[in-house]
Amino acid sequence: MPHRPHSARGGSAGRRARSSRELEFRALLDAAVDAIVVIDHEGTIEDFSRAAEQLFGYEAAEVVGRNVRDLMPEPYRSQHDGYMHRHLRTGERRIIGIGREVVALRKDGREFPCDLAVGQVRGSDPPRFVGFIRDITQRKHAEEELRRSESELRLAQELANLGNYVAGGDGGGDYVSPQLCRILQLHPDQQRITREDYLDRWVHPADRERFEEAFARMDSGTAPLDVEYRIVLADGAVRHLHHLAQAVFGPGGQLVKHVGTIHDITDRRRVEDEARALQERLTHFSRLSTMGEMAAGLAHEINQPLSAIATYAQACQRLIRLPEPALEDVVDALEQINAQALRAGEVIRRLRTFVKNREVRREPVDCTRLLEDLRMLADTDARLHNIRLRIDSDVGLPTVYADPIQLQQVVLNLVRNAIDAMAEVPEERREVLLSSRKASEDEVEIVVADHGTGLAPEATEHLFNPFFTTKASGTGLGLAISRSIVRAHGGRLWHTPNAECGARFHFTLPVSPAVTTGE
Amino acid sequence: MIKEQKPTVFVVDDDSAVRDSLRLLLKSVGLPVEVFESGQEFLDAERDDRPGCLVLDIRMPGMSGLELQVKLNERHSILPIIFITGHGDVPMAVEAMQAGAVDFIQKPFRDQDLLDRINQALEKDAGSRRMLAERNMIRKRLESLTPREREVLDLVVAGKANKVIAGDLNLSQRTVEIHRARVMEKMEAHSLAHLVRMVLEVEHPEA
Repeated sequence: MPHRPHSARGGSAGRRARSSRELEFRALLDAAVDAIVVIDHEGTIEDFSRAAEQLFGYEAAEVVGRNVRDLMPEPYRSQHDGYMHRHLRTGERRIIGIGREVVALRKDGREFPCDLAVGQVRGSDPPRFVGFIRDITQRKHAEEELRRSESELRLAQELANLGNYVAGGDGGGDYVSPQLCRILQLHPDQQRITREDYLDRWVHPADRERFEEAFARMDSGTAPLDVEYRIVLADGAVRHLHHLAQAVFGPGGQLVKHVGTIHDITDRRRVEDEARALQERLTHFSRLSTMGEMAAGLAHEINQPLSAIATYAQACQRLIRLPEPALEDVVDALEQINAQALRAGEVIRRLRTFVKNREVRREPVDCTRLLEDLRMLADTDARLHNIRLRIDSDVGLPTVYADPIQLQQVVLNLVRNAIDAMAEVPEERREVLLSSRKASEDEVEIVVADHGTGLAPEATEHLFNPFFTTKASGTGLGLAISRSIVRAHGGRLWHTPNAECGARFHFTLPVSPAVTTGE
Repeated sequence: MIKEQKPTVFVVDDDSAVRDSLRLLLKSVGLPVEVFESGQEFLDAERDDRPGCLVLDIRMPGMSGLELQVKLNERHSILPIIFITGHGDVPMAVEAMQAGAVDFIQKPFRDQDLLDRINQALEKDAGSRRMLAERNMIRKRLESLTPREREVLDLVVAGKANKVIAGDLNLSQRTVEIHRARVMEKMEAHSLAHLVRMVLEVEHPEA
């Protein structure tokens, strides 16, 4: 039992009897922001501060004299007596002077997390204890939030295979995110890598120069870092990284730190590479199928010179056997035989170049020449359908930077479409006009115009979709591939209705960079 | 009228090498040859319906060989046509034959094959021209008959005896005999059968 009367605040009799010392204590108790609860050696509450009243929802008078267990939820409630007895018996301190995070119970039954610090009142016997309780609901909340956003960030980094880091200029404040450690196969404890280390141990030797240039630009403050390079891991694996970083400068202009992200784009690169390879196979396939469609016309194109050669040769035999051999005619005929043999060879050479599966390469291309070259391949087809093929090129066009074979493929495909579009129109209307002109300072435009049946509105919607075709034997790849080729060259491909009738397909290509800029 | 004109081989082909080689081949066998690079050029040329034959490329830009054939048919041209075809042009060749072409030959060809076909075509042309000339002659003779003689002729060709004709035309049998003799004379007929054949030839050529 308490050896002193309870000092319950609000108790009118006790208050007057208190010493000034006790009043000071009381004032101190009530002024404290933390809730303060004083208990005796058996856990009976002796004092309950104003903040405690607010925190627990009890009036002091309600709880003074009750056991402090009542302020605790299970399992603390049943264990508390045991704790106290052990302390009294052994003097072992589990909480006194240490403080810990516990859960407390409000009058309304709600639990809340709190920091509890306990002090033993010196010189009192039996001992008394003072508990300081601070509500940490908000802090816990914030901590929870932080933990969640950290784990979300980690997950996001894992998913994106993207890591971030902070590299302090003074050597302090370095941070390497877990995902970045994984990307670099770095031990999570190693939180500091110097740029020299990084360059030597990771960056692919062929990319080092580029890497250093990019960093130099960032350090000088001219541009944030944005560079793609390869790294070589310890096991020899090569990864592609996209590195973004920014230098942070202090008020005096001194470099404080770098913050950056490193994105492992190896998989994306692989997908892109595969897509490109697929595109090239498709492009090749489309060229072959274009060739297949043109086979009849091409057979004719080769048959013409062969036929002329045969006839010339037979004429020569007869001319020589004449009583007075017409030798001049024979010489002319032999010249022609030679020329026609070369002509047949040329057709075959162009075909082979066109059909061959090959590396894409860019070179300055003269559009006027390109169209003229193409006339031979396209003319065959046009003749077959009794279609006139007209070329109208502006003189003095700048060259474009392109792959000539791919460009031929685009034009040939558009011409074939134009020819097909005119199958049903009267003979006098059948003309395809190929024109090239300077569209602007840095673009050349090529137009293939027909006088065919034009494009149905419902067709224009899907025109460029792969496998969309209005032809019985079409693959539906021609326009899709043409557009992707033009786009890969940095140009655009579109269509407009022709003024009188039919359709016009336009595409642009950027002109070659001026020679003076070097290359 | 018939003139003793040497037949000419007309060549229409848009490919200058093929055209020129044909010209040289025909020249080597002594055949007169004229070359044209398009159907229109051929139509525009003044040919005065000269005898010969046409060697025509079936596939040409602008006016195709088949279209030239249609235009010539519209002009009642009798010029025999040999089409030169590439391979894979068989459907076009069939169409050409249905429209009256004498023959077609596939490129490249043996010179003798072409020359044989040209000779056949020239014979056909000569035959056609002989027949046309004869028909013209018969028509001229028919035109020289008086209306009464013509009436008598028609009844003779219909196989009626003089007596029946006399009754039909309300003439004496003697008068019919005189008209009939005049008809035989004007038509230069050797016999009744010859007379009938000549009349049928111009008036019912399909018979």
